Amino acid sequence: MNKPKELTLYVAGQTPKSVAAIRNLEKICAEHLDSSYVVKVVDLKENPRLAREHNIVAIPTLVRQLPVPIQKIIGDLSDTEKVLVHLQLGDPA
Amino acid sequence: MDEAVPDTLSLEELRRRLVEAEDTLRAIREGDADAVVVRNANEDTVFALSGGQESYRAIMEAMDIGAIALDDQGRVLYANAAFCALIGCAATQLQHLPIFEKLDANSAQVVRETIEQARHGRHQVQFVQSHRGSNRHLMVTAAPLPMAFGTGCALTFSDVTARVEAAALEESERIGEAVIASANEAVVVCDRAGNIIKANAAASALMPGEAIGRHFTDALPLAFAEDGGISTSDGLLDLAAAGSAARGVEAFAFHPDARKDLLVSVAPLRVSGETIGGSVITLVDLSERKAFEKRQTLMMHELDHRVKNTLAMVLSICGRTLAGSDSLEEFRLRFTRRIQALAATHSLLADASWAGIDLAALIETELAPYVSAAGPHLAVSKLERTVAPDVAIAFGLVVHELATNAVKYGALSAENGKVTVSGATLNGNLYEVVWAESGGPPVTPPIRQGFGQTLITRSLARGEGTGATVDFAPDGVVCRMVLPIEVET
Repeated sequence: MNKPKELTLYVAGQTPKSVAAIRNLEKICAEHLDSSYVVKVVDLKENPRLAREHNIVAIPTLVRQLPVPIQKIIGDLSDTEKVLVHLQLGDPA
Repeated sequence: MDEAVPDTLSLEELRRRLVEAEDTLRAIREGDADAVVVRNANEDTVFALSGGQESYRAIMEAMDIGAIALDDQGRVLYANAAFCALIGCAATQLQHLPIFEKLDANSAQVVRETIEQARHGRHQVQFVQSHRGSNRHLMVTAAPLPMAFGTGCALTFSDVTARVEAAALEESERIGEAVIASANEAVVVCDRAGNIIKANAAASALMPGEAIGRHFTDALPLAFAEDGGISTSDGLLDLAAAGSAARGVEAFAFHPDARKDLLVSVAPLRVSGETIGGSVITLVDLSERKAFEKRQTLMMHELDHRVKNTLAMVLSICGRTLAGSDSLEEFRLRFTRRIQALAATHSLLADASWAGIDLAALIETELAPYVSAAGPHLAVSKLERTVAPDVAIAFGLVVHELATNAVKYGALSAENGKVTVSGATLNGNLYEVVWAESGGPPVTPPIRQGFGQTLITRSLARGEGTGATVDFAPDGVVCRMVLPIEVET
């Protein structure tokens, strides 16, 4: 039985890096992640208070909530390798 | 879950947070993040980092309104491209310098006052600035600009010259329209091709149908006086097209109702500067004046005729009175009275504008020096008939002669004497007036026929049936006069 896997991407409206991060995350999910990942996108422009849950300061930030420990990466996620390694995503093999 | 204020933190947790903070700072510094969340006690706010300010700057640089930010000393912190273009100065030449040094004295004064006014809120002023030999209209708007140290000022400058000039032009056109519409004279404005582009009400009254768009020569065919220098309407338009003007050229229009005498003037229509955009033609309707002049000329001829006739009559009266007088004193008396009789008839005719007078009025006027119409010595009846001026003059003189005879020798020389004057229609326009004396001394016919009697019998002859006869009857003189009267139509 697979452990739950949860990713949350924090963006701020349509800033260039927010848009790029969403696009890059979709690409990573499609190419490297299986369907066990639950992915959420939170727009802090609409509700800044949601930043408090993961103590978000810089935008965009991708948070891997589960499995613990929590991991974060700031930026537009254009470096796929860095994202996969940093958040320990995908198949470790 | 809020991680900000836990009671105690493990060393590992502290290390994790430090790494995270350093990572955040690095990301911001290196441009990995383009927005940050700033946490306050009550609310959290998202700020765009890069791009936002650049966007604002890009907007400021792109807009065609001049914009500057000044510090509290009036020194330029920022000036956009439009402002630099407006004052003809590079942004680097403005940086940190007082703005007033870059403006002319008048503009500097206006800007200084606007900034002063803006201390209490946004303030806007429009002013005129000399610029490269001409004037331009600028609108300056100032608003307070809160800064870290003190309050600066944000200013925008708009060149509203085109708008002001357009408004002035519109106003000028409106006034022009009103002037043309209010003019008593007919005013027609034509384009370069001679087609009518404007015509006021007086002009439209001269031209049947819609005039706008038609060629002037078709809309209002004119015939010009031979000695006017202009012989056709095209000649009139050509004159204006060549930049010349003509005044008071006499012409007449073939109006459907009646021929219209006109006084025509033409001038080139100068649209801007020396460019000729067409012609302005003014037409004064002379019909009434011409009719008046015609009446006046006729009256002058009539007056001339009457004066000559009167002088001839005076000369005749003078000669015949002199021939019949035994002394100069007698001549003076008789001549004066005859001329007075003539003058009395003239006065009546003048009052009636020489349109003919009533026989009864004439009798009363001529007899007034001798007898009252209301008294017992005179009875007048059926004399309310109008006679022409020449008949009136002759009749007046005849009545004068009859009256002087009656006073000297006839009914009016006696206390109970009476003169009865009555009228009766004969036929057509002939009217019989009978002068009958009664109650006077016995009448004896005169031995010789004097001027008075000649005048009585001859002067009323106006064709067949007219004239006068005198009967020296013993009971009183009876004079029958047959006159042509004015038949009422």
